[in-house]
Amino acid sequence: MLVDLAGGWNPMWGRLAWSQIPYDNPILAPLFVAVVVGAILVLGLITYYGKWTYLWKEWLTTVDHKKLGVMYILIGLVMLFRGFIDGLMIRTQQAWAVGAHSSGVFGATHGYLTPFHFGQIYSAHGVIMILLAATPLLVGFMNIIVPIQIGARDMAYPYLNALGLWFTAAAGALIMISLFVGDFAHNGWFGYAPIFELQYSPGVGVDYWIWTMELVALGTTLGGINILATIIKMRAPGMTWGRLPIFVWATLSANVIALTSFPALQVALALIAADRYLGAHFFTAGLGGNLMLYTNLFWIWGHPEVYFVILPAFGMMSEIFPTFSEKPLFGYITMVLASMAIAGVSWLVWLHHFFTMGAGPYVNSAFSVATMLVGIPTGVKVFNWAFTMYRGRLTFNTAMLWAIGALFLLLIGGLTGMMLAVPAINYMVHNSVFVVAHFHTMLLVIVYAIFASVIYWFPKVFGFKLDEFWAKTMFWLFSAGTVLVFVPMYMLGFMGMTRRLDYVFNTVWHPYLLVMEFGIAVYMLSVLAFVALLYVSIRDHAKNQVGADAWGTSRSLEWLTHSPVPFYNFAVLPHISARDEVAWRRDNGIDHVQPDHYEDIHMPNNTGVAIILGGLTFVLGFALVWRIWWLCALSLLAIVALVIYRSFKGDPGYIITAAEVEKMEKEALRREAQISK
Amino acid sequence: MQVKWRNSLKNGWRYAALAPILLLDGCAGNPYWIFDPKGLMADTSLFYLLVDVGIMGTIVGLTALLVVWFMWRYQKGKNRGKYDPVWSHSNTIEVVVWGIPIIAVGVLSYFAVVGTFEINPYNPTVISKQRKPASDPVEVDVIATDWQWLFVYPQYHMAVANELVLPAHTPVFFRLTSTAVTTTFFIPQLVGMIDVMPGMRTKNALESSNIGEYQGIASDYAGAGTSWMTFKTNILSSADFGQWVQRVRQSPTSMTYTSFNNYADPYINVHHKVAYFSSVQDGLFDHVIDEVMNGKTWPIPPMMTENMVAYMQKQNAQHRD
Repeated sequence: MLVDLAGGWNPMWGRLAWSQIPYDNPILAPLFVAVVVGAILVLGLITYYGKWTYLWKEWLTTVDHKKLGVMYILIGLVMLFRGFIDGLMIRTQQAWAVGAHSSGVFGATHGYLTPFHFGQIYSAHGVIMILLAATPLLVGFMNIIVPIQIGARDMAYPYLNALGLWFTAAAGALIMISLFVGDFAHNGWFGYAPIFELQYSPGVGVDYWIWTMELVALGTTLGGINILATIIKMRAPGMTWGRLPIFVWATLSANVIALTSFPALQVALALIAADRYLGAHFFTAGLGGNLMLYTNLFWIWGHPEVYFVILPAFGMMSEIFPTFSEKPLFGYITMVLASMAIAGVSWLVWLHHFFTMGAGPYVNSAFSVATMLVGIPTGVKVFNWAFTMYRGRLTFNTAMLWAIGALFLLLIGGLTGMMLAVPAINYMVHNSVFVVAHFHTMLLVIVYAIFASVIYWFPKVFGFKLDEFWAKTMFWLFSAGTVLVFVPMYMLGFMGMTRRLDYVFNTVWHPYLLVMEFGIAVYMLSVLAFVALLYVSIRDHAKNQVGADAWGTSRSLEWLTHSPVPFYNFAVLPHISARDEVAWRRDNGIDHVQPDHYEDIHMPNNTGVAIILGGLTFVLGFALVWRIWWLCALSLLAIVALVIYRSFKGDPGYIITAAEVEKMEKEALRREAQISK
Repeated sequence: MQVKWRNSLKNGWRYAALAPILLLDGCAGNPYWIFDPKGLMADTSLFYLLVDVGIMGTIVGLTALLVVWFMWRYQKGKNRGKYDPVWSHSNTIEVVVWGIPIIAVGVLSYFAVVGTFEINPYNPTVISKQRKPASDPVEVDVIATDWQWLFVYPQYHMAVANELVLPAHTPVFFRLTSTAVTTTFFIPQLVGMIDVMPGMRTKNALESSNIGEYQGIASDYAGAGTSWMTFKTNILSSADFGQWVQRVRQSPTSMTYTSFNNYADPYINVHHKVAYFSSVQDGLFDHVIDEVMNGKTWPIPPMMTENMVAYMQKQNAQHRD
């Protein structure tokens, strides 16, 4: 060992020991039992209905960008729920542990969470919400929509696409298992230096955090390469840059950020690993280390990451406003320029995450002004959405409601963001719950855009619309929760309440914390409404079937092909003649014209390599966390061998003959004809 | 002139800020610490906050109204506004939608830069410009440990743990460092946040305009004891401050390099224990920075607060007072 480890280590099990399993924890132990029972039930049901072959052939080994996208979104939703539960636990603790006279249970002096557990929960909440909920949800939508919007049959690298998904799944599995084996980091989602060093975090929590983040970063980088290559090289004939749907532009700008910034995170995390595993001193306080170097490195990724998640959300809103305003997006070129401007400026603002570091006034001034510059293109976007509605014909279906909600949240987030950008104000509210309220407002813009997109694109992917009543119920409950949780949080920020308090010393804050707790309960109701929404929609799916253009007023290319989209996307690749191709075809009365003949289609084969590599990286991550060196070596060797094997094997793909395509198309058209009757 | 404008702006806002409180609890004092500054630094922050909210709030508010109006006017089937299915561009509107944010950002940038210099923690002009030659500044060396605050008064060769006492109407200059991990020094009604980092020295300054007791907070997560790492800041008149210094000097305990080493061990200050040290070995602040830079750490035991009740029993049994 190059470092001194507190606790035991042996060659066979590494740091793993029975004492690391929290079987005596009153919250985790019952949860573990529930998870095991649930897993047995699910696996049993799959076996009972004989669905293993179906699952393996159609989903686990698929390289179809739509199915991978759906799985990304499923992972995102599951993790969103887990992150929400973390949030609920944080709120409950803060509503309970107020003042010296508040009671305590489960070993806590106040509330029900000890500092040890509270630190882990808020750290997991952050990591999960940003990297394993928002990111997979958005990547999922990019995966499903972008290839169809540009008229491609699949991604440029279908196998790489699957690999990205399974790395993300492995990361999710790793953070979930940290609940039951060992502990998670307490250093916040971004990691405080030097608290993540071995002296101040002797457990395995930080190691879980490092390898989870590394795996997500790897998956997202691969995804970024793939999406960029797809947009640049796979566009249908006639799909010039000036005709790209706006969501594709948003995705492009976001992935330029991803590709260029994620490596910085990977390096920063690798250096922490060097400190913790090899006894290096990159970010230690002493012996030549520089802890602020880490903070800089992290936010050089961290801030672009913020725009990596917000830009696709803006793109989604830019698709939804025109559809339900029944007119083209106002200022297309401006929107493209604004997206690119945000992407560009995203590199120049990282220091505003730590104005309080004590940098000189010149440095802080420069980053303050750079930060405010972001407000210009963002403001332009808001105005452009407003003027898209101007002279329109607005339908307030639930997708539109979510999009409008996102717009209003962006106004509030923008206002508070411009406050935080001023160092003189920032000194007062940095590290207070005001900042927490601000970035939750911004992340809720993303969540609202995602739920808008779920409603909007669901019929494209599954062929039927979601139930409008339950969708609206969920929207209003969710929005009520948002107001109840975050308005008091802004107020508490002005009262000087700081972040991450396991115990709240000021009883004056108590009523506000109780209102927030009530808000969380309302959020919980919206989660139930979402479940009801899915149940009712699937139950009544026969009633809500749709044709190619699900909304009747859609504009971009994805609405040209059938709903659900056939696995080859388009029977014949379309020739693009206008910016809003489907709207253009509808206006010219050629939206229902079918091709006169079909041709053979070349498609990629499924592969099991991606999921096996995902499984092996999970094993590698787990072995690294517990320092089981033989297992590290073994899994790494297997990964390298498998990558080499796959690269020699290649994939010649397969051909769907024109006759088969014709048969499938006829079937789809017959179905569409039935629906329109 | 400018000062007058500033004050009327702030007073108006204070009454507005009080309104929701009166509805909710009506207890004494303004719980909105950020709107109730008691010193030059916090006062300046509030001024810029009001300017920023004034400018941005106007734009955001008007935009929100515009959106609501569009939503009302162009709702399908109501036939309130004219529908134009192809309209998607206007040079005039483009100029306006780029122009408004550019002008707003330009104006706010000016205020942001000026404000940054005014309360630059290393040399706040808002203090240095108003400084009267008679008032000698007080110097305080702040050393954050896991999880206590030690305030060393080098001019008086004494130190106080977990309580900060300062004279009113006097500039106070801080030097700050930490032993183990990073945290942030924050007194909401007096001065904004500054990071406190091990092996490094930061600075801050304040000048209080009122006598009173104000809450100090460790506002950045530093581990298990962060929530209890608070301190009271007592602002006294010069005469009272002199008496208080005499009281501290009568304390039987003193702080040396060696005793500091034990003092800096992990300690969760649940009972807000305050300690006076009548003398402090010279150069303690620089000594701590040197030690940390040479690799000294104060490690945390594994799973230290997994059971907080049990940990507190253990800590109490140590009798470290």
